[in-house]
Amino acid sequence: MPNSSTRSGSQPKKSGGSSAAKATAKNPPTKNAPKGGTRTSPGKKTAASTRFAERQARKQEEARRARQNRNKRYAFVTIGLVIALVAVLVIVKVAGGGGGSSSSADQPSPPRGTPIPAATLAHLSSVPISTLNSAPSDAVINAPQPVNQKALTADGKPELLYIGAEFCPHCAGERWPMYIALSKFGTFSPEPGKIHSATQDGNVPTLTFYGTNYTSPYLTFTPVEVQTNYLNSSGTAYATLQTPTPAQYNLWQEGNGGTTPYANFGGKAILSGSQIDFTPMEDMSFDAVAAQVGDNSTTIGASINAAASQLIKTICSTMTHDQPSAVCSP
Amino acid sequence: MPRWPGLVGTVASALGLGIAGYLTFEHFTSSSSLACADNGVVNCLKVTTSSYSAVAGVPVAVLGLVYFAVMLALQLPPMWRRPERAVRVGRLAWAVVGLCTILYLLFAELFAIDAICLWCTAVHVLTFTVFCTTVYATLSYPPPQEALP
Repeated sequence: MPNSSTRSGSQPKKSGGSSAAKATAKNPPTKNAPKGGTRTSPGKKTAASTRFAERQARKQEEARRARQNRNKRYAFVTIGLVIALVAVLVIVKVAGGGGGSSSSADQPSPPRGTPIPAATLAHLSSVPISTLNSAPSDAVINAPQPVNQKALTADGKPELLYIGAEFCPHCAGERWPMYIALSKFGTFSPEPGKIHSATQDGNVPTLTFYGTNYTSPYLTFTPVEVQTNYLNSSGTAYATLQTPTPAQYNLWQEGNGGTTPYANFGGKAILSGSQIDFTPMEDMSFDAVAAQVGDNSTTIGASINAAASQLIKTICSTMTHDQPSAVCSP
Repeated sequence: MPRWPGLVGTVASALGLGIAGYLTFEHFTSSSSLACADNGVVNCLKVTTSSYSAVAGVPVAVLGLVYFAVMLALQLPPMWRRPERAVRVGRLAWAVVGLCTILYLLFAELFAIDAICLWCTAVHVLTFTVFCTTVYATLSYPPPQEALP
């Protein structure tokens, strides 16, 4: 910090008075100076100048302090306003007055999804085989294709490997018939949760196999949901959810180049892509789609039913040796 | 001019720089390893992967890193001794920019994302601390006088 001796000349210097006195003593008044009794002695003039300078300095100091105090008040008021604003935001939130500014459909669903009512799940898993089989075959756009790979097994049973992603609208469409078909051969516990594909990718309602456990006497179901339905923090990709094992990854790459959905039926057949067109389901509610399952008179219902029928036939023929007969040979 | 504004501002900015650096690292590696509780209300991952985690394609974590890097330079004690008006006004303006940003992000956390990120909250507190010291010191103390040639 510079000391006072370096300051600019706006502030009076204490030595100024004596210098002026010296100058006056050395230079007597000229003939232009006023004549008469107003002339004061050099000593009195020096004292007056000093008092004047001190008064000026006091005034300046008082003004400076007043200004400083005023600025301090401004600072405190500013900080106080900010604290008050934050407090208001928090209070409004805690009091429940500020709901989300966007609808729930705009929010990413949690990776495990939200619980699906038991009645809805019962409806999905109890569609009669006859209803599924009577769905028009042209309601599907894709089908599992036979392959001749090394047998894929897990836990001593044929393995159905499913690789999908929660953001993926094709996967969202495919999970409906996949769940219906698998329900004919075993049970999920815990059951799948309700999710939707990414809002910017169709926002298709569906269920997720992430966090589920499937038990069947006929086959092992291994789902791998590789990504969530929300972007990672860099905004460049959907956040990673599950990572396939190297063996699963190789099968997936070999099978369809690593696109989703992918399903491998014990090494005997693979499904690359979805069997159904997801676009009619875009932005629909989960319940609205679920209500059409089992109804072959609607586009969505017919496509899901037909796709489930295809999956059941594929599982029967490639994995379970047509067991159980009630499912495979109704 | 006392020394404490510079010291407080420097420490807060350095801490903020560290946290922003950590969030940036997590951002470009794997967000799932972010050390943060997930109990519903507190959910760092939900916040740092939300649509509010980037502004015009630039991750907020990176913006925080830049903000604290600049602020750290402005808060160093030698900078508080600089008499130039541009330094004082620039520091104050930068502090205001930081404050406005954290108010926006706080609003987003509370009312749009519905989750609080503890790391982000720490950054918000540090930004607010820097704002308070900067506003108080800038308004309360006159600029140091320029040395005469």
